[in-house]
Amino acid sequence: MTSAGGIGRRVPALRGPGGHVPGGRGQGWRRLGGGGLSARRSRTGMILVSPAFAMVALFVLFPLGFAVYISLTNWPLIGPYHYVGGQNYSEIIHDQAFVHSVLFTLLYTAIVTVPIFVLGYLMALLVRSNRRGAVFFRTAFFLPYIIGLATESFILLLELQPDSGAVDFVLHKLGLAAATTAWTVNYGLALTAICVFVVWFASGLTMMLLMAGMNGIPAELYESADVDGATWWEKERRVTLPLLRRSIALSLIISVIGSFLAFNQFYILTEGGPGTSTEPVVMWIYQEAFVQYHLGYATAGAIVLVVVIAVISALQFYLLRDGDDKKAAR
Amino acid sequence: MTAATRTSPVRRTEQAARAERKRRKGRTGFVLYLVGGTLAALVFLVPLAWAVLRSFMPNTLVTQAPSGADFSHLTVSNYTGLIDTNDILRYALNSLLVAVGTGLLTAIIATMAGYGFARFRFRGSGVVFALVLVTMMVPFQALLTPLFLEMHSLGLTNNLAGLALFYTTFNLPFGVFVMRNTFLQIPWEMSEAASVDGASPVRTLVSVLRPLVIPGIATTVLYAFLFSWTEFVGALTFITSNDLYTLPLALLNMEYGSVGQVNFGYLEAGAVIAMIPCVLLYIGLQRFYIQGLMSGAIKG
Repeated sequence: MTSAGGIGRRVPALRGPGGHVPGGRGQGWRRLGGGGLSARRSRTGMILVSPAFAMVALFVLFPLGFAVYISLTNWPLIGPYHYVGGQNYSEIIHDQAFVHSVLFTLLYTAIVTVPIFVLGYLMALLVRSNRRGAVFFRTAFFLPYIIGLATESFILLLELQPDSGAVDFVLHKLGLAAATTAWTVNYGLALTAICVFVVWFASGLTMMLLMAGMNGIPAELYESADVDGATWWEKERRVTLPLLRRSIALSLIISVIGSFLAFNQFYILTEGGPGTSTEPVVMWIYQEAFVQYHLGYATAGAIVLVVVIAVISALQFYLLRDGDDKKAAR
Repeated sequence: MTAATRTSPVRRTEQAARAERKRRKGRTGFVLYLVGGTLAALVFLVPLAWAVLRSFMPNTLVTQAPSGADFSHLTVSNYTGLIDTNDILRYALNSLLVAVGTGLLTAIIATMAGYGFARFRFRGSGVVFALVLVTMMVPFQALLTPLFLEMHSLGLTNNLAGLALFYTTFNLPFGVFVMRNTFLQIPWEMSEAASVDGASPVRTLVSVLRPLVIPGIATTVLYAFLFSWTEFVGALTFITSNDLYTLPLALLNMEYGSVGQVNFGYLEAGAVIAMIPCVLLYIGLQRFYIQGLMSGAIKG
């Protein structure tokens, strides 16, 4: 895994015809118009990448700048607007709903991150081998992630219904809950249900990322540990864990970013309720912008989110770069 | 083994004993692995299988506590009802159009860009590549307001093509990264030989490199399709007119839009319809999906 760390690094394999073709046989015409051909190839290259660049410029870079501008105005959906400076920012940090959504998102992230990681790690241990059944297990564990949170939230909505849902039915049979527990209209119950659901959904992704990392560890290291008479546990601790640091960092960061951007499961299962008690940040932004039509105000919150995610991503680059060097040294 | 060791106990070396211990341990380990794996697989599969099963129960049973007797009344009435009253086929078609459009567009643009970045040297190449990859760090969920205003002024809201453009953009960093890696893995000499023969870069791509980059394209299309098919908040923001709903929006409409009681049987059947392409594509093309994870383009 080279990760997205391609940014800013020079790409050694990026060879152009200028450096590669020393001229000679069959290249006579190149000697004459060498500069012309290189310019033509250069132009071809630019033409090839321009649609991708245009899309990114139009739908990412421009909106990013535009968002900063909007956040400095009192932009309503329709009608005139004017510049208000940092007023939106100073207001949102005193806005109880915004602060609550931030704290709620942090709480939710804190609850789900460790279980997702631990389960994902255990599952990766199960499926990393080429043993019989590993592919089947891997497919099964990852299937919830593929189907997606939105679809599964609708299914869960049905199963969380009091009296008719399977969740109450099973818990009631086990003597753990009343058959009439209404999960989605109680803060604690809704949060519990959604956290369990998300751990079920997302641990497969962590498994995949860790499995990829585990499979990248050279087999010789385990073989030499075997020769030294190392036990399973010693091999895990002294070989797997240290060499997996990079994958662990990657999977944790992906998981945390995913939690920070949570929306679907809350919107579908609780609609942020009861009240706004289960409203994560993205839902606050969505509601402020497209229900309340406070576009400037909502965008100030969105910019805060962009900055937080950018900081986490930068942290990722920092952590993974370290691993990159180690990998290159191997 | 035991017979052999009994006849010649002296010859039983330390190594053989260790091998025997290891083999026995390996066998118990394998049984533990099978049991643990099967139990875990059930945790992930049973809820999904249960949803499929429930979608074939009559609606009156879906809204009652589950019981063993339910399985004798299986029916397709939820599906037929959904098709007749909720126009689910139109929404499925909308989802399919957007997902296929996103997949194709992402494949074309990412292949071009991957080719350009891997095989051509030009001024600003590094900067442009960095800008495309930086997009991975920008959560589209945080850009809904400027994107809505921009797309609205371009006539791209309430527009399936507009939605596909939006999805394509946020799939491009991954796709470009995968395609660039794919091109970099092809020996330089292959395209060089073609260009010596006088083939243009495009001709080289189409006739010489195509078979070698198909796996990369498959990975790119698969990710773009699945992203588009399952995406929710963007569709919710950019599509407001009922007849353009994608499947997740249609399901949401069943949940909140209906007056009075939610028809849970229909909702379940609709969710199962939304599940089908994901399951089929993933099981069929898992190889490409995992190649994508391994490519190192994954960020989040």
